[in-house]
Amino acid sequence: MEKKSQTRRPSGPPRGRQDKMVTAVSYVVMTVLGLVCLLPCLHVASKAVSNNVAVTLGKVYFWPNGFQLDSLRYVLTETGYVNALKNSIVVTVIGVAGSMLITILFAYPLSEPQLRGRGVLTILCMIAMVFSGGLVPTYMVFRTMGFLNTRVALIVPHLLSIFNLLIVRNSFEGLPDGVKESARIDGAGDFQVLFSVVCPMSKPVLATVSMLYAVSYWNNYFDASIYITKDSLKTIQVYLKNVTADINSVADALKSATGAAISSDGMIACAVTLTVIPIIMVYPFVQRYMVQGITIGSEKG
Amino acid sequence: MKKRQTNKKDSLPAVPFRTRLHKDLMYIRRHPGMYLMIIPALTVLLIYKFIPYYGILIAFKDYNIFAGKNPLDAIAASDWVGFYWFEKLFKGKDFMKVLMNTLIINFEKIVWIFPIPILCAIMLNEIGHRAYKRLTQTVIYIPHFFSWVIVYGIFLSLLSSSGVVNGFLQALGFEKIGFFTDTSVFRGVLVFTEGWKSIGHTTIVYLAAITGLDMELFDAARVDGAGRLKQIWHITIPGILPSIVLMLILKVGHILDHGFEQVLLFYNSTVYDVADIIQTYVYRQGIGRMEFSYSAALGLFNSVVAFVLIVGANAISRKTLHRSIW
Repeated sequence: MEKKSQTRRPSGPPRGRQDKMVTAVSYVVMTVLGLVCLLPCLHVASKAVSNNVAVTLGKVYFWPNGFQLDSLRYVLTETGYVNALKNSIVVTVIGVAGSMLITILFAYPLSEPQLRGRGVLTILCMIAMVFSGGLVPTYMVFRTMGFLNTRVALIVPHLLSIFNLLIVRNSFEGLPDGVKESARIDGAGDFQVLFSVVCPMSKPVLATVSMLYAVSYWNNYFDASIYITKDSLKTIQVYLKNVTADINSVADALKSATGAAISSDGMIACAVTLTVIPIIMVYPFVQRYMVQGITIGSEKG
Repeated sequence: MKKRQTNKKDSLPAVPFRTRLHKDLMYIRRHPGMYLMIIPALTVLLIYKFIPYYGILIAFKDYNIFAGKNPLDAIAASDWVGFYWFEKLFKGKDFMKVLMNTLIINFEKIVWIFPIPILCAIMLNEIGHRAYKRLTQTVIYIPHFFSWVIVYGIFLSLLSSSGVVNGFLQALGFEKIGFFTDTSVFRGVLVFTEGWKSIGHTTIVYLAAITGLDMELFDAARVDGAGRLKQIWHITIPGILPSIVLMLILKVGHILDHGFEQVLLFYNSTVYDVADIIQTYVYRQGIGRMEFSYSAALGLFNSVVAFVLIVGANAISRKTLHRSIW
């Protein structure tokens, strides 16, 4: 009976007991997974805005208990958060701009089949992608070049991602030849073709790739932790790590500066929350382009 | 594929060498811009990749950082010692420990985490309510954008001895667990947090592969009376199998150089025995204790094996799936 009704409706909602089971299990499992992702964040955010006593006693779960914003305000103003945030923004903005320029400039010649020396360049990229000089030799070079304690050390390691380069190159390769040719016939030089024809036609891919770069600059912890020792240049990731590492001294300093006693649990929760907020704010925007990027990536193969 | 074709054209025996050279020169003269464009990227690669390759030499030298005007200059000024550091490394007890830790941690991650996003993508695809599907997608994707420091902060908050998880355990009458100090559970923490951060993203990668499948196949299967499970088994899974295999190959290819930042943030001296991986060990010995040559030797070992694994994995994927990362 059920089978007959199915043949009459080639698409639509699930029918039959088994189909309904599949759907039900899917809803349940995905809801559980969503909660597993969401609840830890909710817990930390609740701790950040809950009464200190409740936090210390462990009486905060997934909702604020005794709502207050004082802890957040103290951590925001007294622990160097703003400066670290500023540094991260500066590095990310300059870095993404530089990365995009370098990536676009390199991807275009690589996408031209007639380019002489294309094979050699491609091989160089492959080597750079899969073989790393290693931590210690890279550190030596940075030290020799005087990059230590400068923002350059935070930008150079991410300036060119070969993976992103290949995405852009593939998208340039996919453009119809005719458009480029007609621009050339009109007398446009290589730079003109690239910036006034090729780039405008590849906007979605370029947006996605700049997101990928932004995430890699923003989230980088390691480079900032070994190349930067000056407090004034610390990024938000190092800031958060430092707060969690010497939570007691940070809490003491805060107490002597403001007279506010915040539990170490509460402090960590505040610092984490403040670090997550910028991400949540740009998330809707980033997510759209990243999902797009995945589709591009899967077409790439 | 494209690359191979152009290569073939380049090496056609019919074109004499001088004509080819002439053509090359003509092209370069007509398109100087193309070569200007390459310069910034090559400079970056030189500084960040190719000059450090020269620094690898310190693995074969008794490197003294103060032997020259600057650390790079000092490489040439230091004495050759051949494979001294490698012998020291392979004879020492630390090497086996960190190698095994690296392999075990990354192997456990693959075993526990790898299948989950595949199932999740299939289940997410079964959710008919569009808004709910989008909401779930949005929520599970968020942790991917958190840095490891944030993930560490969140789980420190949850798993510390005064954290909510230990609170629940105590309320249920169990003993507290030292998630960051107990050698028997620490790897579990690494695996779980890795999953927490990455599952949503990988799920969406597979979901994109499912969305790319030919809808007519599903319609035809429905017409033939196939239920949801049969469609999943006979259409969805075979359809995304190339993506699955490619992912698995890549994961295995990165088994030696994955997880550095995570371990660096999560571990501490009480769990070195189970958590110290090659790169964290190189970091502590090299940057921390200034044992430059010794740690560069281990770093080189790591890079070479990782290189072989990645190139090998890619070759397998190209042979079997006609897909590769480049």
